[in-house]
Amino acid sequence: MKTWDLIRTSNRNLFRNKLRTFLTVMAIFVGSFTLTMTNGLGDGMRDYVESQVKNIEGDRAIIVRKKVERPAGGPRAGAPQEYKESSGDESELDFDPNSMLLTQSQIDSAVRGLKGVKGVTPRYNFKAEYITMDGKKSYKAEIGMLSEGITAKTDAGKPLSGPNQIVIPSGLARELDPEIVNLVGKTVTVGYKLPDGTMKTVPLEIAGVATKGFMTNYSSFVGAETARKLHAEQKTASGPDQFIAFTIEMETSDAAAIAAVKEELSAKGFEADTIADNDKRTYDAIGIFKTGMNLFALVALLAASFGIINTLVIAVLERTKEIGLQKALGMGRGKIFAIFSLESVLIGFWGAVLGTLGGIATGLIANKVLVAAYAESFEGFSLFAFKPLSITLVILLVCAIAFVAGVMPAIRASRLNPIESLRYE
Amino acid sequence: MLEARNLSKTYSSDGVEYEALKNVNLSVADGDCLAIVGKSGSGKSTLMHLLACLDSPTAGSVLVDGGDTSRLSEKAKNTLRNRKFGFVFQQFFLNGRDTVFENIVLPMRIRGASYAQLVADADEAIAAVRLSDKSFKKAKDLSGGEKQRVCIARALIGKPQVIFADEPTGNLDSTTGTAVEDMLFQMNREKGITLVVVTHDEDLANKCSRIIEMKDGQIISDKATEAAS
Ligand SMILES: Nc1ncnc2c1ncn2[C@@H]1O[C@H](COP(=O)(O)OP(=O)(O)O)[C@@H](O)[C@H]1O
Ligand SMILES: [Mg+2]
Repeated sequence: MKTWDLIRTSNRNLFRNKLRTFLTVMAIFVGSFTLTMTNGLGDGMRDYVESQVKNIEGDRAIIVRKKVERPAGGPRAGAPQEYKESSGDESELDFDPNSMLLTQSQIDSAVRGLKGVKGVTPRYNFKAEYITMDGKKSYKAEIGMLSEGITAKTDAGKPLSGPNQIVIPSGLARELDPEIVNLVGKTVTVGYKLPDGTMKTVPLEIAGVATKGFMTNYSSFVGAETARKLHAEQKTASGPDQFIAFTIEMETSDAAAIAAVKEELSAKGFEADTIADNDKRTYDAIGIFKTGMNLFALVALLAASFGIINTLVIAVLERTKEIGLQKALGMGRGKIFAIFSLESVLIGFWGAVLGTLGGIATGLIANKVLVAAYAESFEGFSLFAFKPLSITLVILLVCAIAFVAGVMPAIRASRLNPIESLRYE
Repeated sequence: MLEARNLSKTYSSDGVEYEALKNVNLSVADGDCLAIVGKSGSGKSTLMHLLACLDSPTAGSVLVDGGDTSRLSEKAKNTLRNRKFGFVFQQFFLNGRDTVFENIVLPMRIRGASYAQLVADADEAIAAVRLSDKSFKKAKDLSGGEKQRVCIARALIGKPQVIFADEPTGNLDSTTGTAVEDMLFQMNREKGITLVVVTHDEDLANKCSRIIEMKDGQIISDKATEAAS
């Protein structure tokens, strides 16, 4: 028999008992629908996170911290802690945050001997008080530092490119001028306090308006040079300057070079992560969530596959004589097996197509409703995202499950003895 | 054409062995018209199934065109049945929801024939059983005699060398039965197709050129009829 004839035969057989086929397809529909939804939810979350983190770029940057040894049996380990009046430590942390601080000479010795390093920027922390453009209306300032090698993408203007520049968040920008492009090149004044309490100001040129994201929704950013200046002026303690972290800018984004540097730093007692490493951690968490949800959908599909087995076992019984005739007329076992397998795959296929279409439709409606309700707080957030690849994989997976479900009945059919099947009493 | 050598068949069900065929020897020539008669349970169908390679003997062998079929693979036997044999059974084994055409072309579909070939062969076979006007009727809407003629067309379409018919008129009244018989004999005469008919209808048997009678799994007589001359 030709392949096309096999498909035609299987399809006809399915149409012979429309109600039974429909009910079996429905069970698969429910499973595929659920899988499409859970998958879409996971992809939606990932897309949202991706849209939020991708505006901070820096494929040559490695952020380095001191590795801290968390003492075994600390409060986080769940063991009860004995109260000591003298300790006076109100921190929830089970390690001394000061132990993480690094001096410039410690940083220098950490980077010594590393290959491919272009530059090193310590994390200069500082605190700004307000930001103003016309001097009349001031806004509370939240300003961070972007190390060399890390950029915040901009909607208007350009990323930071020199000293005394600032990238502002789009919320603040719209407040200053709804036409945000007009702001590029203008000067804002940033106020900050010296240790003795006196307010000082510094004029900064707006390089651009940051693309929205977790980091840039509320915070402005200045370059390392500007941060270093403010940090120096705000320094209180005597003794050597200390930093919580530093960033290594590599000469290239070559993965092997970055891996080598990370390994060496790790051996020296540092935690070294690229931006991609940090993003991956979030994606992995979403991935675990998605897998967990998909497992529920797979249980539904597993239940539905018993429906397929049941339907086909009955079909084999019903068509015993027909199978006997086909074999008598020279149809091989393989073809009989193929006809029944195709029937189960077709049930799976139609269930999957209807299920994914239903899932996509439901998801898109849900997105519309949710956007209407939560647009303000989660801009650009779609609860469900449907990707052609995911959908294709769902359909293929369901077809594969259906195929496996059909194997037992199909083998039964192919092994029928034609004489027995055609015997009449 | 067909030859049975020391053919034996033992069925065993639930541990009980039953010897349905005992050391049968038989030779059927090309163009022969052979009736196998005997009481119910005498082993007629068993012999026919073995000759048609639908089943394997417990002992002995079946030769088709001089070749020993016991050495053939299952696939080769399938091809052999599909290309050289046609079958008509007492029950029709038609697919009622399918058209007459669809039922008739089944052996050609199994063979993997091209659609053009299939249509041409179907036209010829349907015309031979005089059902051309019913080609696209559903098989379930036909009368018993018409159904059996569809079965004959289905047996005929592959241009077989042998047609095996197991009680072909068993389910028909005598008039329609005679019409079906005549059709089978016509195929034998005009196309030279060898005919092996299992029956316990004496009239039908007497229209064949040769009758073998079976009893308890053995051939007890083998004779030419008047129709042979
Ligand atoms: N699969 C089987 N298992 C057990 N006994 C069988 C089987 N097939 C046929 N028989 C027995 O073999 C004998 C011959 O059967 P069969 O060839 O069908 O007889 P006939 O066609 O002459 O009526 C019968 O007694 C029947 O019961
Ligand atoms: Mg019989």
